[in-house]
Amino acid sequence: MVHAWRKVINLQKRELWSKSTMVLDRKIAFIDLQNETIKTESIPLDLREKFLGGRGINMYLLSRRYTPDLDPLSPQNPLIFGAGLLTGTLGFGSRINITSKSPESGHLGDSNMGGAFGAELVKTGFSHLLIKEKSKRPVYLFIRDNEVQIRDASKLQGLDALETQRKIRLELGDEKIQVACIGQAGENLVRFASIRSGLKNSAGRTGMGAVMGSKNLKAVAVRGTLDMKVAEPKKYLRCYLGNLKKLMGTKWANALSKNGTPLLFHNANTMGFLSVRNNQYTSVGSRGYLLEAEALDPYSTGMVACFSCPVHCRHRLWIKEGKYEGMRVEGPEYASIGSLGTKLGCMDLQDIIYATELCNRYGLDTISTGTYIAWAMELYQRGIIDQELTEVPLIWGDGKLICEIIHRIANRKGFGDILAQGPYAKSFFGEESSEYLLGVKNFPLEMTDERLPKSFALGMATASRGACHMRSRPSIDVLGLPEEVLKKIYGGPISKELNSYSGKGRMVWWHEVLNALCDAIGFCRFLTVFSSPHAPQYNEFSRLILLCTGLKLTPGALKRIGERICTLERIMLVRDGISRPDDTLPKRYFEEPIPEGPAKGEVISKEGFNSMLDEYYRLHGWDKNGRPRKTTLRKLGLG
Amino acid sequence: MKIKIDKKKCSGCHLCGMVCSILHLGVINTEKSAIRVKKDDLNTSLSQPVLCRQCKQMTCIEGEQVKASAERKKFIWDKSRAERCPFNALPSSGQIAYHCDLCGGKPQCVRVCTTGAIAL
Repeated sequence: MVHAWRKVINLQKRELWSKSTMVLDRKIAFIDLQNETIKTESIPLDLREKFLGGRGINMYLLSRRYTPDLDPLSPQNPLIFGAGLLTGTLGFGSRINITSKSPESGHLGDSNMGGAFGAELVKTGFSHLLIKEKSKRPVYLFIRDNEVQIRDASKLQGLDALETQRKIRLELGDEKIQVACIGQAGENLVRFASIRSGLKNSAGRTGMGAVMGSKNLKAVAVRGTLDMKVAEPKKYLRCYLGNLKKLMGTKWANALSKNGTPLLFHNANTMGFLSVRNNQYTSVGSRGYLLEAEALDPYSTGMVACFSCPVHCRHRLWIKEGKYEGMRVEGPEYASIGSLGTKLGCMDLQDIIYATELCNRYGLDTISTGTYIAWAMELYQRGIIDQELTEVPLIWGDGKLICEIIHRIANRKGFGDILAQGPYAKSFFGEESSEYLLGVKNFPLEMTDERLPKSFALGMATASRGACHMRSRPSIDVLGLPEEVLKKIYGGPISKELNSYSGKGRMVWWHEVLNALCDAIGFCRFLTVFSSPHAPQYNEFSRLILLCTGLKLTPGALKRIGERICTLERIMLVRDGISRPDDTLPKRYFEEPIPEGPAKGEVISKEGFNSMLDEYYRLHGWDKNGRPRKTTLRKLGLG
Repeated sequence: MKIKIDKKKCSGCHLCGMVCSILHLGVINTEKSAIRVKKDDLNTSLSQPVLCRQCKQMTCIEGEQVKASAERKKFIWDKSRAERCPFNALPSSGQIAYHCDLCGGKPQCVRVCTTGAIAL
């Protein structure tokens, strides 16, 4: 009996330790869809030390293939999936970056996604996938422990993002499979199609879904069971618990846990930096309560989290009555409420929730979708386009109309086929239309108006993927902290006034570097210095990386990694011919003071803007034209 | 001591499972943990933590010549015990069932649960 029991224990031990990996052993798979070949390589330690993972290694891989004449929808454009260094571990979120040349802007494309997909990918032993060429038939990838399969996807064609995920799980007989896929919008090459996972996780911006569609790739399904060995388990756990206490002690984390990002709507509206009717206005005044976080409460059935996130900032909603009775969704985020709501003059929360859900199912970026519809609505308002082209009157605020346009965009029907081309729809709307598409580097602005917060304005102008608040999101000056505190955080003088230009170049530089690092680690930027100066950052990250992986990187070395990623992205933009004149803002921001509301009269002065830009370039080690200096390249090992 | 579950509060973050596997095995693998989060992530996104209820009457070890008090302190169990659990509360994979030993009296999963879905 004893002998038999010992045998069982030995069997269990063998099973217990049979399949494991370490963070630094995670591999990259090069997948050629045309020849259906897969090559697996380990990631050299020195590459990890220079770029960590996620966005960092993605940019290294893209930069070696990025040329100005690379057509984003051609087979040669690589589509790169990269999980962060600590994705799937006990950390602060578990994110993945999806990177390529953008078919929307024509420049750098990159989008960061939460949920559980990245965490499941790393359990297979892979952290990065580089997908190249175009398949002759519709396919999807199935990645299991140390193995990549290319499978037929003909039965998945035409399905939305949710149906696709369900059908793959059913076909492969495993509920735990995580899927990143495209909906109809990606298949139809809508230039701002997203890649989707779960109910609402999106690699939304820069049209990565269209790149995936152009390769005849419907989905990537992952299921891993490998153990991830930890370098120093007990110390790591203790370190994590300390950081968790620190994070959950911040007001920001607690507010986000309760209300999610919709809590930001109130601030933007009452201070006057919301996009209303394509930025013709910047506040909806007292009507704001209709879309504030509390307005979601009647529908909310709780909050959910991404894998490994203690903050759980995502609403789970159930609409029990009204025109959308029975609808159960996750979200919407503040970005969608602004982009598909106020930006289009729509104040009906249920319509906004439904429009967001439509975008999620079709696989469309809610921000870009809202912005292009807003652009068309303003052109219609000004008589630049008419019903002959638009088919229906484009009236501000009509929720039903907004949903109808979304259907047409995703299916490329009629006027939707024109809008599906994103900024390239200019050729149908005429030259005069350009100034009403508010964007930077051929990429549209978002749900906010940055004429009041000057730091945000600079961040929009300099973001490496075109107008994007998340590349820097320098919002600590919104908190009204004393200037001594700001100086301590940023290492230089910063004005606490939101509409001052002083020191804001430094703020943007500082946040860009930290956020690039977060994307390389796989942490969520909401959980670092986003809206709380007390949240974990370099020191804490350095310790966690050491105890989890054994990799010794000082806080200074981590900062250099952030710098390296930012400068490498800049190098690719410079190759495209981008320089100082492109790091700018829409004409409206410089020439039209905000006409009414709490931020009335705010505008961007050219002089103030240029002073911020000078400071920003100097801190990055770039010259006056925004080109990285040779000394900077050498310092970062990029020369 | 018993860990109480309020499934309405679970956010589905899996921190509990990771802490459990790190502490007991030195690895991160939520499928090698005594606590498991059942998910309905493509429909309602409801999540539900499941773990040993520390029953006084241990149906799971019925028929075995073992001491209940000693078994309660063990983390690695045989899968057959999971099959005997009337609440289907013991996570298992392969031949192993993962049993909650309450971390020797200081359950660590409770410390990382920021929603209060699992509490003492």
